[in-house]
Amino acid sequence: MTPQSPNNGPVLRDHTYDGIQEYDQKLPNWWLFTWYITMVWFVIAWVAYYQLNLGESGEEQVDKALANIKAIQLKELEKLTDDKLWEMSKEEKIVSAGAATFATTCVACHAPDLSAHINGVKLPGQPLNDTEWKHGGNPLQLLNIVRKGAPDVTKGMPAWEPQLGLNRVVEVVAFVLSKHKKGEPITLSADSPLKPGAAPAAPAPSPAPAPPAGK
Amino acid sequence: MTTNASKITIEFDDRTVRRFMLASIIWGIVGMLAGVFIASQLNFHQLNLTSWLSFGRLRPLHTNAVIFAFVGNMMFAGVYYSTQRLCKARMASDLLSNIHFWGWQLIIIAAAITLPLGLTRGQEYAELIWPINIAVALIWVVFAVNFFWTLAKRNEPSLYVALWFYIATIITIAMLYIVNHLSIPTSWTHSYTIFAGVQNGLVQWWYGHNAVAFFLTTPILGIMYYFLPKAAERPVYSYRLSIVHFWSLVFIYIWAGPHHLLNTALPKWLQMLGTFFSLMLWAPSWGGMLNGLLTLRGAWDKLRTDPVVKFLIAAVTFYGMSTFEGPLLSIRAVNALSHYSDWTIGHVHAGAMGWNGFMAAGMFYWLTPRLYGTKLHSTSWANFHFWIGTIGILVYVGSMWVSGIMQGLMLNATTPDGLSLVYPNFIDTLTSIRAMMGFRIIGGSLYLVGMILMGVNIWLTIRKGSPVNETREVAVIERTQRDTMSLKDTFLNDPIACMFAGLLLVLAWLFLPPGADIAALVCAGIFAVLAVKRFQTGHNRWSAWYESLLHNWIPFTVLTFVAVALGGLIQIIPTVMVNRATNVEDRVQQPYTPLELAGRDIYISEGCYNCHSQMIRTMLPDVLRYGDYSRLGESIYDHPFQWGSKRTGPDLAREGGKYPHSWHYDHMKDPRSISVGSNMPPYEHLFSEKFDQKTLWKKIAVMTQLGVPYPAMTDTEVKTKAVEQGIQIVKDLEGQGRSGALPDTKIVALIAYLQKLGKYDVPDLEEKLKKTPEGIPFPLKPGIPDGYRTSAVTK
Repeated sequence: MTPQSPNNGPVLRDHTYDGIQEYDQKLPNWWLFTWYITMVWFVIAWVAYYQLNLGESGEEQVDKALANIKAIQLKELEKLTDDKLWEMSKEEKIVSAGAATFATTCVACHAPDLSAHINGVKLPGQPLNDTEWKHGGNPLQLLNIVRKGAPDVTKGMPAWEPQLGLNRVVEVVAFVLSKHKKGEPITLSADSPLKPGAAPAAPAPSPAPAPPAGK
Repeated sequence: MTTNASKITIEFDDRTVRRFMLASIIWGIVGMLAGVFIASQLNFHQLNLTSWLSFGRLRPLHTNAVIFAFVGNMMFAGVYYSTQRLCKARMASDLLSNIHFWGWQLIIIAAAITLPLGLTRGQEYAELIWPINIAVALIWVVFAVNFFWTLAKRNEPSLYVALWFYIATIITIAMLYIVNHLSIPTSWTHSYTIFAGVQNGLVQWWYGHNAVAFFLTTPILGIMYYFLPKAAERPVYSYRLSIVHFWSLVFIYIWAGPHHLLNTALPKWLQMLGTFFSLMLWAPSWGGMLNGLLTLRGAWDKLRTDPVVKFLIAAVTFYGMSTFEGPLLSIRAVNALSHYSDWTIGHVHAGAMGWNGFMAAGMFYWLTPRLYGTKLHSTSWANFHFWIGTIGILVYVGSMWVSGIMQGLMLNATTPDGLSLVYPNFIDTLTSIRAMMGFRIIGGSLYLVGMILMGVNIWLTIRKGSPVNETREVAVIERTQRDTMSLKDTFLNDPIACMFAGLLLVLAWLFLPPGADIAALVCAGIFAVLAVKRFQTGHNRWSAWYESLLHNWIPFTVLTFVAVALGGLIQIIPTVMVNRATNVEDRVQQPYTPLELAGRDIYISEGCYNCHSQMIRTMLPDVLRYGDYSRLGESIYDHPFQWGSKRTGPDLAREGGKYPHSWHYDHMKDPRSISVGSNMPPYEHLFSEKFDQKTLWKKIAVMTQLGVPYPAMTDTEVKTKAVEQGIQIVKDLEGQGRSGALPDTKIVALIAYLQKLGKYDVPDLEEKLKKTPEGIPFPLKPGIPDGYRTSAVTK
């Protein structure tokens, strides 16, 4: 079919299509080999990752990392007490770090001056500059609400621990505490779920079938 | 060959070519103008002027205009011009050509009206509503009939490689388009996809990825094979390379769709197939590039003088660049960084502007003088177009690389102790890419200037000349010289037998249970060696068979269809057939209430999915930022799925219950009052417009038909339920100091929907296991999702 090429040059096929001719050169070796390598890689990787199940899947890695974070946080939390948090609220470095986080994450609902009002308009959050609290005003209660969020989030605070991490949450709490004095009177607001007789909110603090994260 | 052949003179139908060319240029400018505008909206939110000029509605307009209007018309111009000449025959039917041209333009106009109105199906590049879908399918059939009829009447016995690519394009697009648009209407302008969740995701990206493959790549490769050797006046580099890269390209491309869903809830076997087939696609793609570039051997000097060759060669180079980048982005680790980011946007624009746009320009500059019997008005303008276009592309793609990689790194950065995110605020990562988004506007504008310049140049050329229809004397060939192959000769031969047997063994390796799979792999290896041996001894027979296949368009088309159908069948059927109850990974989405469903339709209609994903990947940074990774069962009732492909804003899969109603209320009214620096459009109109109560019952009826467990409800019950829930939300809002909301407004429905996102039930395992067996239709391992994720079920 194909004519022999003169001088070992490329073979020109004898057919032309609307004046277009075609050489019939052999496939470039480097090209063929890149292709073969990708095929071999398919075989190796499929056998290794799928059939022998080597290595960890994304889910396993995530679950492991989350378990690790949880374990470390538990240890950290054990160290934290009301007094310790009050102490932190006096450390300038911690408070200024907390202020920075507050300025980007919390002001949308609690306002820069913690009043939860801007120009007289009430923002979605609770005021944090008075002595009336919805979810309790002890430092550990504050910490808990920032970490885990309100029992019914559609009516209140989101859980910030997953996104911010425990360290930043502690800093923010220290910042809020720095605007208060240890021993000042604490009252519960009228709609507080902590008030005796208040309708029991969702079974706080850890909701039902515990998924690894986002709870 | 030419014995006793009678000669006839034919006049080619070049009028249709001219029309398609002009339509392509006009729509191209419109589509790119829309692109520059929406790129500007990302940096200047004030440009979201009204509801119908907001980013979420215009972005589909831009993508559809560029893909289907600009490249579509360009492709038809190229196909009509070259097919007639390669077949030595006029297009079979002038009537069909006319219907094709005007039908396609009407479809484009319909799209340009409906998309800004918020009428959409909510799937990327498949947004057009169902009546337009039917029109597209019909017009495509008209095109197909016209094309294949011309092949049947051809006076050139053998099919040239350009025609192979056109054949693949026509049949594959028909298949993809129809399957991905299967929907049940709820009204004249609205429908729900028949697939939901993961099934919808798989089908959508089988379509989306292969729309790139068979709408933006294969027809343009065909055009390259015709116009590049013509312009360079050189023979094509290698016929053999054409064969190998054509068949491998059309076969492998289809499998690579799942690479759009890496690290998601998509079963692992599909993710792996997506990655590895993408890697194996690299060489076949580069086969096309090599055949283009090396055709210029011996004529490289033309690159200096001829703008046509400049455009074509730069286009092929950009094709090589994007088809190298594609496999790279399909590697799971790279994808973890690049996915949802601007890197992907840069990647597709390297393809669309570099490959498609420059092929179009090269072809138009070559065609215009021939179609109008005159010289191009200005070669130096064409050269200027080339340089401003190239700079535009480089600025665009470069800024998107920087932007995508930077934002990807920031979003995925965790502190050295691995305990928390470095940048917990999404806005911080957005702020840092603002400058790069600015450069994108510049790059896109430069490119647009080039396009407009081409429009003017071609317009002035047209005014100088007058339309010319080429006539040519051709030898009529005997019926016996073509299309004589029997079914037996088509399928019963060495090459086909080897391919199918090899494929069967590979499939056995992929799908058989442990033990048998490795045995199949070994058999496949041995078989490959034997097949190569057989090829070496009989390659003359093999190439003779292929030569005769080229003389027979029906067998060629059938084999092409088999090659493109296989990948989709093998990936989609197990996923669609599998009993839904086993495929949920211990979580079942709670069906939407009537009000939430209405809210969801508003979310889709406003195009929120263009910027927000609903899929938390199996990656620590995603999980820390957005919550627990998404499970298959959590989108099981989502018709259509809304996993998304870009995060201009944060993921919303677990948005429900994250913030109070008042937060969403304020945020939708003025996003920047809540998140300073946000580029989200405001949605003022949702506060006054009412949500659609009239068709709500019908929508729920269709959902029920699709398998969503709704209780039986009358029309009144549906409306009452919706309004009752609306009243509750309004009450909650009042309690949070937001008075004035009305319970039947869109904003209330949207809040209801947003608060539902991520809500699921944990099904009773015992119950589930009891339901399972009922004859899972496929005894395949992947029939159940990956074992390691369902261990709780199987234990």
